[in-house]
Amino acid sequence: MFRVRSDQETTDVGQTFYNCELMSENNEKKVHGVVAEYTSVDTLLSACRRVRDAGYEKTDAFTPFPVHGIDKALGIKPTVLPWIVLGAGLTGTATALVMQIWMNSIDYPYIISGKPFLSLPAFMPVAFELTVLFASFGAFFGMWALNGLPKFSNPVFTDPRFDRVTDDRFFLYIDSKDDQFDRGGVEKLLGDTDTDYVQTVVDDDSSDKVPKPFFMMWGLVVGLSVIPLLVVLKMRVSHSSQPRFHVFYDMDFSPAKDAQQYSTLFRDGRAMRPDVPGTVARGEEQADLNYMTGIDMEALTAIDRPRAERLVRRFNPYFQGETESAAENETEGAGKTSTEIEPEKKPVTVGDGDSDKSEADEVPDATAEPSVVEPTPWLDSNPLVLNEKVLADGRKNFGIYCSVCHGMNGSGNGLVNVRAQKIISPDWIQPSSLHQETLYANKYPDGKLFSTISNGIRKMPGYAGQIKTRDRWAIVAYVRALQLSQNASIEQFKNLDDSERAKILKEQIEAKKALKDKADAAAKAAKEKAQADEKAVLEEADAQEADAREADVQEADVQEADTAKAST
Amino acid sequence: MSLAIPNGLDNTVEQPGERAPLVLGDTTYHDITEAVCQVAERKPSTSWVIGFLISFALLQWLGICILYLIYTGVGVWGNRSPVFWGWPIVNFVFWVGIGHAGTLISAILFLFRQEWRTSINRAAEAMTIFAVVCAGTFPGIHVGRAWLAFWLAPYPSLNLWMWPQFRSPLLWDVFAVSTYGTVSLLFWYMGMVPDLATFRDRSVNKWRRMAYGVLSLGWSGSSRHWMRYEKAYALLAAFAAPLVLSVHTIVSFDFAVSQVPGWHTTIFPPYFVAGAIFSGFAMVLTLMIPARKMLGLENLITIRHLDNMCKIILATGSIVGLAYGTEFFIAWYGQVQEEKFAFTNRAFGPYWWAYWTMVTCNVISPQLFWFKKLRTTPWMIVLVCIFVNIGMWFERFVIVVTSLSRDYLPSAWAYFSPTWVDWSMLIGSFGLFFTLFLLFCRLMPVINMAETKATLAKQYHVSNDGEH
Repeated sequence: MFRVRSDQETTDVGQTFYNCELMSENNEKKVHGVVAEYTSVDTLLSACRRVRDAGYEKTDAFTPFPVHGIDKALGIKPTVLPWIVLGAGLTGTATALVMQIWMNSIDYPYIISGKPFLSLPAFMPVAFELTVLFASFGAFFGMWALNGLPKFSNPVFTDPRFDRVTDDRFFLYIDSKDDQFDRGGVEKLLGDTDTDYVQTVVDDDSSDKVPKPFFMMWGLVVGLSVIPLLVVLKMRVSHSSQPRFHVFYDMDFSPAKDAQQYSTLFRDGRAMRPDVPGTVARGEEQADLNYMTGIDMEALTAIDRPRAERLVRRFNPYFQGETESAAENETEGAGKTSTEIEPEKKPVTVGDGDSDKSEADEVPDATAEPSVVEPTPWLDSNPLVLNEKVLADGRKNFGIYCSVCHGMNGSGNGLVNVRAQKIISPDWIQPSSLHQETLYANKYPDGKLFSTISNGIRKMPGYAGQIKTRDRWAIVAYVRALQLSQNASIEQFKNLDDSERAKILKEQIEAKKALKDKADAAAKAAKEKAQADEKAVLEEADAQEADAREADVQEADVQEADTAKAST
Repeated sequence: MSLAIPNGLDNTVEQPGERAPLVLGDTTYHDITEAVCQVAERKPSTSWVIGFLISFALLQWLGICILYLIYTGVGVWGNRSPVFWGWPIVNFVFWVGIGHAGTLISAILFLFRQEWRTSINRAAEAMTIFAVVCAGTFPGIHVGRAWLAFWLAPYPSLNLWMWPQFRSPLLWDVFAVSTYGTVSLLFWYMGMVPDLATFRDRSVNKWRRMAYGVLSLGWSGSSRHWMRYEKAYALLAAFAAPLVLSVHTIVSFDFAVSQVPGWHTTIFPPYFVAGAIFSGFAMVLTLMIPARKMLGLENLITIRHLDNMCKIILATGSIVGLAYGTEFFIAWYGQVQEEKFAFTNRAFGPYWWAYWTMVTCNVISPQLFWFKKLRTTPWMIVLVCIFVNIGMWFERFVIVVTSLSRDYLPSAWAYFSPTWVDWSMLIGSFGLFFTLFLLFCRLMPVINMAETKATLAKQYHVSNDGEH
């Protein structure tokens, strides 16, 4: 096994001693083969060729580095290693794919970025890595296995001179298992080559037992490494009356603070944090109810007192309903903090158009009496003082909140709508164009538009929680401006002089004509194309027919020629 | 032994019709064995002992910092909102990058039959493994609860009842880095077995002989074994070559697949790979030049080797410079407001000093290697390489910190400042690296003797000097 020498093994003394020993014991020991030593690649290679040509097959050369061309000189066959590696690599690919598909698509499907559960591209990197890993294991372990290593006891190691094989000497070895092996003949054959050292390889007489300390070390390492595993396993199956041990107490129980408590985390020492500047708490806004609801509350109280009270209560949770007039409550309604909506039953009021569906708190109720039909007294004009700043703010907020659905110009074709149409979303309702006549100020008062923005309509959610009251009114003003921008008649322009007026009218007529021409041209082109297509189809059919006919004729010709040939 | 003194031959010049020798001096096979083995066999030199003590002290300090971190929590780092990645990830990417040169030299240069790799590949591979060890440390402790880092592995957990998410680049990274570490280790160890057998056969001490005997697996130098060994080596090289490119590609996916401005770019994979090779070669040279001097290996690691490596640094450094330029061009050309801001902010924002340090070290300093004088003067190479190492660390700092500290939400912007733990861990990771490297120099064959002898054999063959 591990042969130990007390001094440099290549010294003459050691070598002589070894040779004497060998001579005296040669008869009792089994002979494994004969080895010859060379000092250069060239002498080794020529010796190899001679041995090969002499017909020996169970031969081997031992060299300090891979020698080019020795496989031919010795007649070594190529290895099957690449096939092992291929198999291992494919196993790696399959393992990775099956693992990922099973784990992420079947057993525990994750929704990631809206991708399908089984999306191969994302599984490629790991598949590649595992392919390389398995193939490398195949190459590494396959190579050692094919080489029969690790193998610590080898008869060639018995000769101290053989230690130089990993330094600068080359050895050629003929095994005694070879059919032609005959010790004298082999020694003579090798002696004839360019060598000055030929030696018989005999059994290794050193102990083949692994030294005890090695075993003890191994046992110690294995024993120690098993302990934690056993402890964990025992804990898994046993019960304990002790409370669980917390290694990191503050991670298991996070030190969350209550209101009014002291905290060291902030410089002011308070655990509660003050509101971000500009925060408006619910019910805290100080404004009159007309401004908050878009409804003339005085008029509403006169028509429909319960509804008015309900609206007041919505903005003032402390209101009890005994107050004489809702208008009086407008000021009291401010400064409170809750907007609980009471699910109180009340008659449906039907205003003009699609009207009151826009009020979120007014759920149509079939059990209510439908006979009470009262129009809502919407505010007719915007309570804000209109100026450029209001319009600019309206435009800004419209761009942020409204344009995604209604489009920047309010035509109802925003990006969300475009996308919804593209994917043919089944529950999508197209946003209204703000340029319908039903939405003009004369049919859809400002107060109603404000209420729609605040409370939502159909699929549109209410924006009261996101946009400040003042900015919602600004949006109303901006929507009016938008409507005007798309549908203004020339009569609405008061400051125009005649020449300008005439110019605009002329342009209008021209534009209309251009549009009509364009539409006509498009229709004509479409018609022509349809005709042309029809014609092309017909022509193609004709052509095919003609081709077929021609082919028949040719075939007939060929047949004729064949028969003619055959007959001659 | 004539090894200590180079014979004065300038092997950086190619003579027409004749290959410049890669092994200098009147070197024989035995001289190579002696030159390499004496490094491990003689008593350690004073410089080695001092270096080892310093490195080992730094390693202990790293260990103490890690314990402190685990005991206290990740708040000991400078990682604060919005920069949650901070130095641990900077250090991770830095070390993984360093770890690219070894396998590149071993695998890609092997496949291209660049024989000059033979005397530097062993040490470079060892460096790769030690750098990957350093790199692996950082994500391991950066996960917060380091004792649960095994959750990264896809194992049937009785606590979680769920699997890792295989569509995340962070998980790809786990597989890439661990595969890379494993394959590099196999490659390194397999290449070392014949040389460990040399160590075994030269051992006079019983225990030493036994230890190297076990490590060398009973290698006998049989030609049949060599044949399979070479086949396996070529196959491993063929796998390691795409692997080395995939690793930093996947590391770059950690950034590129996210949507942070300055990270979300398709140029990242090639740019990261070039940067990794660049920094890896710089680190190899930084280490090898003092080592070859101290260990007396000047005839094996010749000026020609240094010259070639400098050329690779010049090439990859220029690629990195081009990538910096391209990033800026695309930020402008793409007309994405956030991207434009991210890059303006990199160069002229609060981290301008880091950006311009990076540009100076990475783009300008390697350009000095256009001059042959610089490529062949060892101390100058070391100087430039140290600059490159600094520059590449700053590159990762710039990418990680500037992008995170100012992304989409201006109200969350903040300036990152490291704590003493950050500093200690960066320096401590060098302690870990050098401790392992110095131990390697003492205990393992620092140069691939078998391959160097094969190169020498070819050299004999070419010069038709059949004397040997």
